[in-house]
Amino acid sequence: MKVSCLQENLAKGLSIVGRAVASRSTLPVLSNVLLATDGDRLKLSANNFELGINCWVGAKIEQEGAITIPARLLADFVNSLPPERIDMELDESTQTLHLRCARFESNIKGIDAQEFPVVASASDSDVAIKLDPESLRLMIKQVVFAAATDESRPVFTGVLLQFDADKLTMAAADGFRLSVRSAVLNQNVADTLEDAGLAGNGAKAPSLIIPARALTELARVSGEQEEPIDLIVTSGRRQILFHLQDIELVSQLIEGDFPDYNRIIPKGYSTRSVLDTANFLKAVKISHLFARDSANIVRLEISPSGDELMNGRITLVATSAELGDNVAEIDASIEGDSMEVAFNAKYLIDVLSIIDSPQFALETSTSSSPGVFRSIGDENFTHVIMPMHIQTR
Amino acid sequence: MARKILHLDLDAFYCAVEEQRNPGLHGKPFAVGGRPDQRGVVASCSYAARKFGVHSAMPMAQAMRRCPNLIVVPGNHRAYSRVSGQVMARLHNLTPLVEQLSIDEAFLDVSDLPDSPENIARALQADIRRELGLPCSIGAAGNKLVAKIANNIGKASAQVRPGQTPNAITVVPPGQEAEFLAPLPVRELWGVGPKTAEKLESLGLHTIGDVAGWPESDLIRRFGKHGADLSRRAKGVDNRPVITEHEAKSVSQERTFATDISGGTQLRRTLRSLCEMTGRRLRKRGLSGTTVRLKIRWADFTTLTRQTTLGHPTNLDAEIYAAALELFNNVWPEGKRVRLLGVGVSHFESPGRQLSLWDSGPPPDAPLQKTLDDIRERFGSNAVKRGSQLEQDDE
Repeated sequence: MKVSCLQENLAKGLSIVGRAVASRSTLPVLSNVLLATDGDRLKLSANNFELGINCWVGAKIEQEGAITIPARLLADFVNSLPPERIDMELDESTQTLHLRCARFESNIKGIDAQEFPVVASASDSDVAIKLDPESLRLMIKQVVFAAATDESRPVFTGVLLQFDADKLTMAAADGFRLSVRSAVLNQNVADTLEDAGLAGNGAKAPSLIIPARALTELARVSGEQEEPIDLIVTSGRRQILFHLQDIELVSQLIEGDFPDYNRIIPKGYSTRSVLDTANFLKAVKISHLFARDSANIVRLEISPSGDELMNGRITLVATSAELGDNVAEIDASIEGDSMEVAFNAKYLIDVLSIIDSPQFALETSTSSSPGVFRSIGDENFTHVIMPMHIQTR
Repeated sequence: MARKILHLDLDAFYCAVEEQRNPGLHGKPFAVGGRPDQRGVVASCSYAARKFGVHSAMPMAQAMRRCPNLIVVPGNHRAYSRVSGQVMARLHNLTPLVEQLSIDEAFLDVSDLPDSPENIARALQADIRRELGLPCSIGAAGNKLVAKIANNIGKASAQVRPGQTPNAITVVPPGQEAEFLAPLPVRELWGVGPKTAEKLESLGLHTIGDVAGWPESDLIRRFGKHGADLSRRAKGVDNRPVITEHEAKSVSQERTFATDISGGTQLRRTLRSLCEMTGRRLRKRGLSGTTVRLKIRWADFTTLTRQTTLGHPTNLDAEIYAAALELFNNVWPEGKRVRLLGVGVSHFESPGRQLSLWDSGPPPDAPLQKTLDDIRERFGSNAVKRGSQLEQDDE
């Protein structure tokens, strides 16, 4: 293999595949990145079995070939080089890659490319659902943070994707909160899904559970892309492939049944408060300073004014036995009864940070029933947080 | 202002309680612990038995060889903890600043009492003797370190006649801490185990005074941060306050077995009852903690602690037990002999509880737990118990 490419291109490619490199693996080759010539481009691949990423960078190919190189060393090395041309040549007999850029030269010992587990790649026969990248990134941002980080219930580490005619819904939950976002697709995907072997199960819409980490990576690597992203379910339904310009991301699907989240979302409320998103976020962040010492508890005292022309208010109270306390007041237009409810401040900050409408509604019923957060002017987003129960001694 | 700290230690506590239960034991060589044919260990022994070289933690069979007339009395922990509670209540009558170290040992901060430490100690000792019929020894000094060492030394050097106990009172006047410690061997110092002692002795440092006179910087160079502590302690300096249970950072319970236990069923049963005791103490004080710690000591005295952090603070028996059991299962190889088990809960947080999205309602155990606590509060700890605990009591 004999290849030349620009330092900027190689550095960018390595950073794209970097997150799919296994950090601690019993299989040494998984800590490596695959470099392989592919037509007139250089293909980079990384694979940790849960997530695999292919990325193609423009290159001048003089001689075809492939090798795997320790990803960390290569990325650190290339990132340190000046923005010039890098010449790479593989010594087949020793599996050593010789790199030269400006006045730097190095030899990096690799592992035979044959040992690298192939990352699936899209073919022309695959049936793809086209997704608008901007809308996809927004969906991911508004949902993915609610997924569980601990592995005790694997389905909760994933994001549920549900297809219904021309609508896609994403949902993620851990034990305590749920985030749901839907979007209209440019096409009716019922037939496409059938072709892909992804027909619904009776009354249930066709669905997939994708690891939250994979979607976070997808949002990251699709950063600049404006063309639609192809979603392809590989045969056997075990993997999902996102095809972007010059990038492919392949993820394992999570097996299992995602619980019916619709039954978690309350159908009604006794109190509805409409608030300014930025003001409320600021107040919660201040409360959090005092709450983080005591299980992040922030108490919300919701007080309607009783007069239609007047604003009501929400008082946020955070108390730390050791540090002190904080009280913040926020104007709100409130309909319904006055009530008190306590939430984990961190969960409030998480959701308020991703609501992009200037106002949101908080719907509550009792101090032990879920609170529902909705963007004003955007019906496609729903977030549910379970309150904290404050024990009376 | 100089502090007045007392260290109180009940003399041969288990034996003293046994003598009350059976006055015929008075003055006789006897030991509380497991039977020699069951590889029992001496948990405590009378002063008459000590004359023969019997001491606690010695295998009972060996104790029998040293003292063939030794009477072996099986332990009765329920009685000990009841009497211990009475003693601690007496201490709390004197001052709220009581730090209980174990079943028979406590620190008291009596700085606010007008009397001299010696008079306070005499009155306390006489009170416990008169009201509860128990002998005790007391060390008094300006800090915890010196008070405890003073008590150890006072007890050890007391001339104990047959049928008597040390009843020692040892007072180190303020300003004389370093002078008092100076002639003592380094091993008397807290934080000096066999290894550190060996290192110190290889430097020619045999007494605490030797260590106090040695440059601190050199101790720090050789022992790290521990070196600074050593130097400070050797000079008799110790600023740690007496920590009352109210301020404690953790609540824990432990049990040393009379004989080492290797049976999983019995170990797990003990673990459960330790968790229940811990949970009850937490609830009584309105505390909930997020960290559950397991302490386990093997037959060879090596001790391990393992801890885990829960997603939310708890004081429920079932949750503490679930966490402790997982730690236990991870650390205990089937059949390994265990000398001591302990459970602790720490990192207290306000007992707010994050409700769950998928199974709503308050934790199902809470009302049951409260009812059980109320019953035990009124009718005693044994009024209600698990089926699995019944078998244990027959043993």
